[in-house]
Amino acid sequence: MTLSQGEFTFIANMVRREASIVLAPGKEYLVEARLIPVARAVGSPNVNEFIAELQKRPNPQHQRKIIDALTTNETSFFRDREPFSALTDVVLPELIKSRASQRKLRFWSAASSSGQEAYSLAITLQEALPAGWTFEINGTDISTAMVERAQKAEYSQVEVNRGLAATQLVQYFERAGAHWRIIPTLRRNVTFKHMSLTAPFPPMQPYDVIFLRNVLIYFDVATKRQVLQNAAKILRPDGWLFLGAAETTIGIDDNYERVAAGRTSAYRTRNAVPAGTGRRG
Amino acid sequence: MSVEVEVNESDLAEMVEQVWESYLDPEGISPLIPTYDENQPSEVHSSVSITGSWSGHIVYSSSRAAAQRAAAAFLAMEMEEVSEEDISDTLGELANIVGGNVKAMLPPGAQLSLPQVVLAPEASARYPNTERISGVYGLWEGEPVSISMWQSNTETKEEGA
Amino acid sequence: MRAMVIDDSRAMRMILKRIVTKLNFEAVEAGDGKEALDRLAELTEVPELALIDWNMPNMNGLEFVMKVRADPRLREMTLVMVTTESEQSQIVRALAAGAHEYVIKPFTEGAMIEKLALLGLVPTGANS
Repeated sequence: MTLSQGEFTFIANMVRREASIVLAPGKEYLVEARLIPVARAVGSPNVNEFIAELQKRPNPQHQRKIIDALTTNETSFFRDREPFSALTDVVLPELIKSRASQRKLRFWSAASSSGQEAYSLAITLQEALPAGWTFEINGTDISTAMVERAQKAEYSQVEVNRGLAATQLVQYFERAGAHWRIIPTLRRNVTFKHMSLTAPFPPMQPYDVIFLRNVLIYFDVATKRQVLQNAAKILRPDGWLFLGAAETTIGIDDNYERVAAGRTSAYRTRNAVPAGTGRRG
Repeated sequence: MSVEVEVNESDLAEMVEQVWESYLDPEGISPLIPTYDENQPSEVHSSVSITGSWSGHIVYSSSRAAAQRAAAAFLAMEMEEVSEEDISDTLGELANIVGGNVKAMLPPGAQLSLPQVVLAPEASARYPNTERISGVYGLWEGEPVSISMWQSNTETKEEGA
Repeated sequence: MRAMVIDDSRAMRMILKRIVTKLNFEAVEAGDGKEALDRLAELTEVPELALIDWNMPNMNGLEFVMKVRADPRLREMTLVMVTTESEQSQIVRALAAGAHEYVIKPFTEGAMIEKLALLGLVPTGANS
């Protein structure tokens, strides 16, 4: 093992800071294995010198390469599946009725990471919406490395083996060398931007559905509350908020109430939920 | 005329990494550590041949100990339980998997042969008129493992697709 | 429930058998499409699931899929290709021939289990 504890910590801190990803303990050998090609690619004699250089003088390009090498497989398509089924079974049929005159839907995938959630939403909408409807999906993430990766829309064979039906793979992806890339017609509906959830939100047009999954867990209660409040302001009055499987607004933000959505729960802002829709859960 | 191959070294490295992730190191604690040493010793090897739109071989070679470890990991057994047949089958399937993924990146009309396994060093194999064009060389738990791609130099007509 | 594992690689058959056994399937195996059909003719109960390699001697996986889908006795089997063939056109061919799902090698155990869950073949709570 050529990586010292100090070097590993330096790298782990960088990855956490720049990509919000925590390197699991026990992965020191894997980190070393992944960094060796990066060091070689930039002409450094070995990993130790590569890291020493970075510690002396930050190099965004080298940092980006490190982050790309160390943060694959962070999330998957149709993760947890149930929220996506809830969209198809409960949410979209309702929105198709209530938005019948606009025939357009806007979704936000907050903390979109490498983009699989946003593209899973795109596939769901593409399959569920009737002809003549359009949709727009905005993905945001605090990591510019992740935003760029999501924009590239390229995934490895191992990544596309998970979560996708084979029919979806052949319909919505095209091969790009060793990778698979989302087809242009679907990519057109999905855009990604850098954004920090803990800062004041930039101006955003209201959304019909927000996916804010597995990111609030990293924040303290006060910050969670702030984020949820800000999200409520850009959620359409009859819109839907989806959190991660183990997350809830209960005890944090009273403005939302939990409703059943298929086999999972979702959240809607309290005062605006018309009587009779979305059973209280 | 040999076909320009669209499979570069980082593609090959990625395929090898995925094999490790899927079968040999699912926990992510025992990766193949790159050495870039093309002349690593080998004690056993396996290969598949590709013909058609491209002509060549994909070769796995390693020490016996690494092969034994691979079989143990692949088959979820202890190293001591692993038989010669287990090692042979595992090495054959590893060459098949990497070869199959390489084939998918070649022009349409490429075909894969059945794997050949030789529990003898790679140098003993005969790949006449071929040139090694790419390779992944590393140490796995301190044991040498190499996966390389060899292209045929022959000027013969391409076999029909 | 029974699952048939069809691959000319004994090592791959062992991996697949291990996975389906974990999911409470009784595993039967065959080394190629012809052997698989022969075995199926002997079984009184048709397996619910077959995991099928593509490139095999005697009868490849694609031919096996077509034969199964054309046989009224075997039609109800869920057919999953498990193969290195990963060109888009190959996947399309297999699905058109009647395969229900497609797993590209190399696959992680988690990915395989998820594919089977997509097909409703995993008892809830059995996911790794």
